[in-house]
Amino acid sequence: MLKATLRSFLAHKGRLVLSALAVILSVAFVAGSLIFSDTVTRTFDRLFASTSADVTVGPKDDELEGQLPTGAVETVPAALAERIAGLDGVADTHVDAAVENITIVDSENESVGPTTGAPTIATNWYITDRSPVELTSGHAPEGPGQALLDADTAKNKDVEIGDTLTVLARPGSFEVEVVGIATFTTTNPGAALVFLDTATAQTELLGDPEAATSISVTAAPGVSDDQLKQRIADELGPRAYEYQTADEQAESAAASLGGFLDVIKYVMLGFAGIATLVGVFLIVNTFSMLIAQRTRELGLLRALGADRRQVRRSVLTEATLLGLVGSTLGLAVGIGMAFGLIELMGVLGMNLSSAEMVIGVGTPIAAYAVGLGVTFVAAYLPARRAAAVSPMAALSDAEIAGVGRPLHLRAVIGGIVGAAGIAALVGCAVSADTGSAASLLGLGVVLTLIATVIAGPLLVRPVIRVLGGAFPALFGSIGRMSQRNALRNPRRTGATAAALMVGIALVAGMSVASASMTKSFDDQIDKTLGADFVVQNQNFMPFPQEVTDRVGDTVGDAGLVVRQRFTPVEVRLPDGERVETTAAAYDSGLDEVANVTYAEGDSAAALADGAIAMDVEFAREHDVTVGSTIPVRFPAGKNAELKVAALTDQDQADGFGTQGGLYFGMETIEKYVPEGQDSALYVNAGSAVGVDDLRANLERTLDEYPQVQVRDQADYKELIRGQIAVLLYLVYALLGLAIVIAVLGVVNTLALSVVERTREIGLLRAIGLARRQLRRMIRLESVVIAVFGAVLGLALGLVWGVCVQQVLALQGMKALAIPWGTVIAVVVGSAFVGVVAALLPALRASRMNVLAAIAHE
Amino acid sequence: MSTAAAEHPLGRAEADGIAARARSLTKAYGSGETTVLALDAVDVDIARGRFTTVMGPSGSGKSTLMHCLAGLDTVSAGQVWLGETEITRLRDRDLTRLRRDRIGFMFQSFNLIPTLNAAENITLPMDIAGKKPDEKWLDQVIDTLGLRDRLKHRPSQLSGGQQQRVACARALASRPELIFADEPTGNLDSRAGLEVLGFLREAVDQLGQTVVMVTHDPGAAAHSDLVLFLGDGRIVDRMERPTADAVLERMKRFDTIRAAFDGEGAPVDVHTTEPVDLDKD
Repeated sequence: MLKATLRSFLAHKGRLVLSALAVILSVAFVAGSLIFSDTVTRTFDRLFASTSADVTVGPKDDELEGQLPTGAVETVPAALAERIAGLDGVADTHVDAAVENITIVDSENESVGPTTGAPTIATNWYITDRSPVELTSGHAPEGPGQALLDADTAKNKDVEIGDTLTVLARPGSFEVEVVGIATFTTTNPGAALVFLDTATAQTELLGDPEAATSISVTAAPGVSDDQLKQRIADELGPRAYEYQTADEQAESAAASLGGFLDVIKYVMLGFAGIATLVGVFLIVNTFSMLIAQRTRELGLLRALGADRRQVRRSVLTEATLLGLVGSTLGLAVGIGMAFGLIELMGVLGMNLSSAEMVIGVGTPIAAYAVGLGVTFVAAYLPARRAAAVSPMAALSDAEIAGVGRPLHLRAVIGGIVGAAGIAALVGCAVSADTGSAASLLGLGVVLTLIATVIAGPLLVRPVIRVLGGAFPALFGSIGRMSQRNALRNPRRTGATAAALMVGIALVAGMSVASASMTKSFDDQIDKTLGADFVVQNQNFMPFPQEVTDRVGDTVGDAGLVVRQRFTPVEVRLPDGERVETTAAAYDSGLDEVANVTYAEGDSAAALADGAIAMDVEFAREHDVTVGSTIPVRFPAGKNAELKVAALTDQDQADGFGTQGGLYFGMETIEKYVPEGQDSALYVNAGSAVGVDDLRANLERTLDEYPQVQVRDQADYKELIRGQIAVLLYLVYALLGLAIVIAVLGVVNTLALSVVERTREIGLLRAIGLARRQLRRMIRLESVVIAVFGAVLGLALGLVWGVCVQQVLALQGMKALAIPWGTVIAVVVGSAFVGVVAALLPALRASRMNVLAAIAHE
Repeated sequence: MSTAAAEHPLGRAEADGIAARARSLTKAYGSGETTVLALDAVDVDIARGRFTTVMGPSGSGKSTLMHCLAGLDTVSAGQVWLGETEITRLRDRDLTRLRRDRIGFMFQSFNLIPTLNAAENITLPMDIAGKKPDEKWLDQVIDTLGLRDRLKHRPSQLSGGQQQRVACARALASRPELIFADEPTGNLDSRAGLEVLGFLREAVDQLGQTVVMVTHDPGAAAHSDLVLFLGDGRIVDRMERPTADAVLERMKRFDTIRAAFDGEGAPVDVHTTEPVDLDKD
């Protein structure tokens, strides 16, 4: 039996190629993402493990994680170093003064920082055996005005020894001369590094010659990191500071770096998920067709005495072989993919070494688990069907099995699941609570997807009748035959189209969501932004006081500048709930630059000292009323009691983690976050100078600060759109992959159908169908299948998108936008996909020998 | 029939009454030592307006002869004309058009496109050509074959005999110069078979069509005007106004000869080198 299985596998290997491709793609994405993230993790673990001090003493971590930082740098007294140095078991101590909230510009006011989102770090220079860099040319920085630059940045930005750089730090900008180049001895994580001498770093970066960002402690021989940590904690007080051993330090450093690497990992796993999901359809379809074609052969096996289990096992063995081959090749492709990604990271400035590529044990396990799992699961139903073939099938000249079987069961199951899915989506649409709406949305999406896949074959007839309705009129009997061929086996057409449907549904849903988000933000900007200009960073990060001062000077007394700052806060609400969120602070001119609608109170009250304002619905939800006193915890353990003075009532988009729409006056934030920096400046021109002139003036003034830009309303919308567009690009990439696999599926189906219809094609050719006409017939069938998939996908995706928008509406994004352009493009594109998918099968059919086709058995 | 007549090297422009003609038609499979001659320099003329049957034992080349005459298969050597067109010179595209416009086909089984109903199957060659069928002629054919009330049926809803009648109607519908029928009764019970043969006979007698049928059934051959006997790639005999018994007797001689020469690989000694004259009537 095994021999028969192997023979059959080899005999059909041509027909399994496309299924194998689907397996290879999904496995490759899984393996590639795992290898990549393992390599990155290992590299950085090694970097941080080798560069972390035995024990690091830093400021107490207050665990307030805001998405929008205040811009303040928390410090410890530098004098701690001497206190620790006196302890038993301490070999050495160093004061660290390292900050990331800086921008470094060259003499042309161009930033020398990385463009990849990796940080620019300024720190004090000292060399230990843990230093990740060594001085390779020039000399160490001595005193103010001297700095080292890392070699990679120097090379990328053409900076040489003797050049002058400007460091835009929170306390103030200062110029430095590059006196030396430091080269990474380990992996460069992609950051730009500037080294100053310790006193300069303390003064210029921290604004306090007595402060440090941390103290690095080296243990004496024979003293473990944990022992040392304990001793230091005992000396300084266990709760006074944060103590970390080298291991803990490496872990938290790796974790903080992990964010953007995680994004890559999850994106790749997302692709793997899509590839797997769509691949399953392809494999199910292939095996179903192969089994249908081999009905007589299987019947013969049964007639010769093979029992059902053996037949089923034979099919599953074949699937397993396919899975093994596909997984192995997929693993190889995945390694190549990881290699490519690592090289790409190098181009982006993160110098990972592909020679140190890590292929963990988990990678091949995951690869084979995915590959084998997918094929096994996908082949299970066809295998059961194969086992159900009766021995009589060997003798009869029966039509291909599975064509005429009724679809009642599918109708019933599809109907039930679909009804449940629709109920969930309706529930999601009417739900007023974001949490439950989101989970209903997820449930509804999954259920409706399953229902559509199950009921897809039932939709084939009605939908394709309409889609291909014009074919007979347009293309005569060729059109008629292609339309009817598509209708011939609804299961097959349904399953083939399902592959395309899944991808398109996801894309359609996400396009609706992103279009609605864009429109909501546009509407909101139109409605609320009253300022002529907004001065801010690309990514809402804070900027130094100097920028504010310069803008203030340029605008002058006639105009108006309203500052905005952010801080993470934790509020304790009357209903007992603690909410961690980001609060904003504004200057008193808020009404001049923004149109805020209040349910109670006004801006003057909201921004008064000791007052706080919040969204009226958030307030209602948490039993807050005007006059309530709310305990608010700020970073660095500062606590305040603020009195609710106003409730806002507007379509407030709670973007960027600003849940609750909390804000207060600038005085309040200065009191509790004294070192905070401004995140945005809202500027009104006033009467003295024209708007255009002011913009030109501002841009000239801010030329030295490349990290901030001047934006009017249109620019501001563009900025928001750009950020949403990143989501769209991801969506389009997903669509691309889904389409590739769907094309494989259509090719597969058509190729196998062509083989099945060999005699029919021979007959058509015999009675005078030209090759060109035959190709057109297959192409039209392909197009109608592809468009069918696209139409189902769009319908499903639009419903999902509208429901997503309903959930977003709870977050204040009230506008619904359907991207009709995208919808039309998808339909047209799917027709094109059909044409492309038909190329090979059509060619194959037209090359078929007429006689061989007639004589085909 | 607009093809230029003066092209033929043999200049058989006088070939009135000849629907198809083959000269030195040779078809070989394989090469070198293993060459098998399916057709060995066959000369044949198919008379217009007659019902010709090709018979012969399995492997005699009767199907190959039909495929070559119908432009379905390429020849190794020799020439074939349909009317005045030398089809051995045509490229695939022109052959396809020729089959579509000038030849009608009936096969043993799988004659109809399962997705099309009877009416659509009947007019398929004309639809492919983008031509309007001659409605009057079409009605006559449909009524002759008794298919009027079956036109909207799909092949799967028709009996085997009905399916062959639809195939027959399709072959007749475009009024081709020649109808090739390859074992048209092979899959039918005797009553349905007789019916189909009756229709082919009628097509010749009433509608003036030319029919070439390949069969191994002497009873079927008896419906034709002339039987050509093929043996080992050559035309070895012919019989006018055949009867089933006479044909059966003649076929039996193949078995005897074969048995006699079995194992020696000698060619059958009964063959004609002269073209069989099918013209005289």
